[in-house]
Amino acid sequence: MKPARFRYLRAASVNDALQALAENPDAQILAGGQSLIAMMNLRLVKPACLIDINRISNIGYIDEDGDGVAIGALARHNDVKHSPLIRERCPLLTEAYESIAHHTVRNRGTLGGNLCHADPSSETPAVMVATGATLMLQSLRGQREVGAEDFFLGTYETARRQDEMLTEIRLPGRRTDGWAFAEISNRHGDFAIAVIATTLRIEDGRCEAARVVASGVGEHAARLEPAEEALIGGPIDDARLDAAAAAAAGAVDPHSDSHADAAYRRDAIAALTRRTVRRAAARCD
Amino acid sequence: MTRERHYIPESRQREKPKSKYFAIGHSMKRVEDTRLLTGSGTYADDVSLPNMAHAAVLRSPHAHARIVSIDKSKAEALPGVLCVMTGAEAAEVTGPCADFSSPPTTQHCIAVDKVRHVGETVAAVVAESRYIAEDACELIEVEYDPLPAVVDLEEAVTSTGDAVLHPERGDTNVAHHRVIDFGTVDEDFAQADLVIERRLRWPRSGGTPIETVGATAHYDRGTGKFTIHANTSMYNYVGWLIAVSLKVEPHRLNIVPTDAGGSFGSKLFCHKVCTLAGTLARAAGRPVKYLEDRIDNMTSGDAHGSDRVYDAKLALKRDGTMLSMRLKVIDDYGAYFQYGVGQHGNAMAQVTGPYKINSVQVDLTAVFTNKCQQGAYRGFGSEVGNFVIERLVDAACEELDIDPIEMRRQNLIEQDQFPYIMPTGNMYDSGNYQAVLDEALGMIDYDGWRQKQAEAREEGRYIGIGISTCQERSVFSATEFWMWNPNETPGFTLSSSPESVSVNIDPTGKAFITLNAPFWGNSPETMAVQVLAEKLEMDPSDISVGYADSDKGFNSSGPGGSRFTVMIAGAVSGAADVIKEKMLRVASHMLEADPSDLEFRNGSIGVQGVPGKEKTLAEVALHAHYFRLDLPEDHDLTSGIDAAYVYDHPVTTMPSEDRTDLGIFYPIVGHMCHIPVVEVDVETGKVDFLDYVAVHDCGTMVNPMTLAGHVRGGTVNGIGSALYEHFHYDENGQLQNALLSDYLHPTPMETPVDIRVGHVETPSPFTEYGIKGGGEGGRMGAPPAIAAAVEDALKPLGVKVDSLPLTPKVLRGMIREAEANGG
Ligand SMILES: Cc1cc2nc3c(=O)[nH]c(=O)nc-3n(C[C@H](O)[C@H](O)[C@H](O)COP(=O)(O)OP(=O)(O)OC[C@H]3O[C@@H](n4cnc5c(N)ncnc54)[C@H](O)[C@@H]3O)c2cc1C
Repeated sequence: MKPARFRYLRAASVNDALQALAENPDAQILAGGQSLIAMMNLRLVKPACLIDINRISNIGYIDEDGDGVAIGALARHNDVKHSPLIRERCPLLTEAYESIAHHTVRNRGTLGGNLCHADPSSETPAVMVATGATLMLQSLRGQREVGAEDFFLGTYETARRQDEMLTEIRLPGRRTDGWAFAEISNRHGDFAIAVIATTLRIEDGRCEAARVVASGVGEHAARLEPAEEALIGGPIDDARLDAAAAAAAGAVDPHSDSHADAAYRRDAIAALTRRTVRRAAARCD
Repeated sequence: MTRERHYIPESRQREKPKSKYFAIGHSMKRVEDTRLLTGSGTYADDVSLPNMAHAAVLRSPHAHARIVSIDKSKAEALPGVLCVMTGAEAAEVTGPCADFSSPPTTQHCIAVDKVRHVGETVAAVVAESRYIAEDACELIEVEYDPLPAVVDLEEAVTSTGDAVLHPERGDTNVAHHRVIDFGTVDEDFAQADLVIERRLRWPRSGGTPIETVGATAHYDRGTGKFTIHANTSMYNYVGWLIAVSLKVEPHRLNIVPTDAGGSFGSKLFCHKVCTLAGTLARAAGRPVKYLEDRIDNMTSGDAHGSDRVYDAKLALKRDGTMLSMRLKVIDDYGAYFQYGVGQHGNAMAQVTGPYKINSVQVDLTAVFTNKCQQGAYRGFGSEVGNFVIERLVDAACEELDIDPIEMRRQNLIEQDQFPYIMPTGNMYDSGNYQAVLDEALGMIDYDGWRQKQAEAREEGRYIGIGISTCQERSVFSATEFWMWNPNETPGFTLSSSPESVSVNIDPTGKAFITLNAPFWGNSPETMAVQVLAEKLEMDPSDISVGYADSDKGFNSSGPGGSRFTVMIAGAVSGAADVIKEKMLRVASHMLEADPSDLEFRNGSIGVQGVPGKEKTLAEVALHAHYFRLDLPEDHDLTSGIDAAYVYDHPVTTMPSEDRTDLGIFYPIVGHMCHIPVVEVDVETGKVDFLDYVAVHDCGTMVNPMTLAGHVRGGTVNGIGSALYEHFHYDENGQLQNALLSDYLHPTPMETPVDIRVGHVETPSPFTEYGIKGGGEGGRMGAPPAIAAAVEDALKPLGVKVDSLPLTPKVLRGMIREAEANGG
């Protein structure tokens, strides 16, 4: 289980990395290596060249950004998981981290690498979509911002272009009051079989805004709009919960694999929708 | 020779169980810990020889195919490649792999002409590095002519023609079929008031240790001798068969053991990897290391576990009295048959469990399919039997509306019935099953949990309590491997399964024990040290332990079948007797006292009843080593203090000609009771443990702490078998989960916070100190108990558990179906 031959470049600065990306169209960035190296060892990917960004200084930050948070490309999972700033401003992400990988993996793996990897069963894309995060992509040609909803395009597929590096993730301040994350995985820390990340705003007992985002049941994390519509416009009571759960299950078209079949994933989405909405609503009080 | 049926040989026990011990029974820390926990172990991949090259293998992408052609020219041209070998080339110098089936089944270390499962080695590359070797594998071009893939075990029974894996064994994939009635089955069924019938499915899982199998081989052209360093076992028992494969005389093969990073049975022999490494080293003219990677190990490690479907029947009286069983079983052996149906020989040791069941019929069919072949895995087939009988007993409770505890109490063999000959002829040496059950019920607070369960049900929560009362046969004897063989082809009917050690006392009175079998994850050094310390009343820290290679080793079957502790205790005890006798002779001269008046006491030898009149072991040893002329002119009193001792199996007899009596072959029988409390999330099918109690009776405990560790580890293994693990082959014979990210072991997050372990000690009358084996127990008791707990939790829905593993998908599917049926 050894990787195919590759060239190794170490970037000293972001600019260095961008230069190398521009010059090597078959290169990949090496961040924490927790997904990339495993895939290389299995020879599922054979990049001709790796651009290691681990020695670039000052890109592992987690900073205030207006009323939101800006996260640098090299912020490790564990830094994000344990950040008080994120717990305060994006507790949904903190809660999701209870289910993401294992301590040692989180010590190396980065949130940025996780998002660029775009595993369809990953938790973080769902959180990004639910909170309306923005991803900053930079190349020698310049910088652009892509909303999370537009970033994830398919299995291991994102809007990032080959010569672009993800330099920053921007989480907006809390626009809604209630939030909850839940997933089902076979074992704690495994990639999810099904994920729901929910945010709600309730005013005067009436649900005014909702996002119900699923992962693990399609090619990428996506909002389940029928479920959101079922919630908005009234109190979160049993009838709305049932309607949202049924709508969520109806809105997904999941695949079957050795871990779970489509019927299971649909049941799971219904159960998770019910659970997260109930918890999110309780947090609105 | 005629033999009285149910003849029990006289006990050879020399050390009787005692009420107070010097070293045995103490929870001392493991001797192995310092070495292993500080990273000082030497595992297969730690071996490095000068000028060593590295091998990788090209795996078959097909489940079943003819190899039409292999073009290796591009691979050979890659810089750094030393040699590329196909199966046909290997077969010119190396014979088939070791195989105990009868009639024999041919497997080569590199497939010849045909591949029979995904992952089978088609060609091997030796290169300057593993990286280059793997690059070269990608350059080998193989043309295949696919054959029908046989994946389903029931379909395998009827396959013919191209679907047959081993045509030389006949036009069928039935590798073995035989029906045996043990006792008066028909009569007992005729007397029954009811017969419980269930179709039960035990899934294919395996030992899957973190460390895969590896061998580093060196071939010395000058002497014509191989040296192979490997994480194998049984090298001092049947290791010479690897020499036969390599076509050298056994004395021209030295197998050097390394530590094993886990085995769980899977490293019982590992003949293929050793044979392959040896073949490649000879061809390359360089030492060669071959270490399976994860996919090699999962697809081709020759160590998948039992994969069975049972049509099982239990005959009972209306009052719950169990009478007889009929078991029709098909077992999917995969592509080869290395141990024949040894796993079913094993299962016969305790097929009727701890119950007073008069007779049993077993109708056994073993089939070939296009999967990795079976090997050994914790339980070696008996764990499946435990699952089957416990499921039948629970079904009977349901049918007769008898409480599962009462049912068991009523049918458990009574304390005064031992030694007990069960229907197949095997003996249960001793036991107190009621005491084990009582201890477990007390520990779990059974009535308290039943109360909580009722309350939870009111709240719509599904809590279940399961119970299993199971046997743990220990100390295998060799007959299990061949007793099922057809009478026309009985095979190699060996009857020895010894274990041996040597002990050397150095001039300062400290001891060195040499084991002739490897470290493979348990605590053999601790066991040997505690027993020797007991015998010589010496400080355990004055004893160290090493492992003999096959050049120096002798007569040792090695760990497996929960035998190692009992067997090395016997061997160490025997060696210590030799040592003691010599030390007494020397001391008697030094103390001018008769040997019969002397005793070993706390690091010294002294005159009984005369405190202070003594010599330390160091003084005696120094004398024995260096002051020969101070000693009498006895010709057999030689310098030094050493002993080598072979301990044969403590009690075993041969099977009868017609096999209706299998004789005594697995007689040191422990017992256990597992009681898990689970909660099932009916919306997600996830199972959570709320409590877990496991009480084991492994006879006299050498070390309660390490035994409890074994029980806990085995229980976690059992949780894996019950809830998580399953080699998932699709309809084309592709293994869907050949990585540990997909083949799911339970981690500490999936296991009970505290598996509470209790002990009952019923010494064996046949082994030294009354020790019984405890290596496999957890995995033998947990699956049926968990199945029962889940079924109990879902009783309101009417869900029945007939197959494992109970993954969320499976369980939710059953619940969904029950809900749809208005459950
Ligand atoms: C045992 C285990 C369990 C895991 N469990 C989970 C889990 O439960 N949930 C989950 O979501 N993940 C899980 N992971 C994956 C983990 O989260 C990885 O850390 C993550 O997917 C990749 O981050 P990385 O920094 O290691 O990136 P790398 O592996 O270095 O890179 C991943 C990909 O992203 C690209 N990339 C990385 N950084 C950038 C950048 N700044 N700009 C552009 N491209 C970039 C790389 O080129 C590569 O294609 C698990 C991993 C392991 C080994």
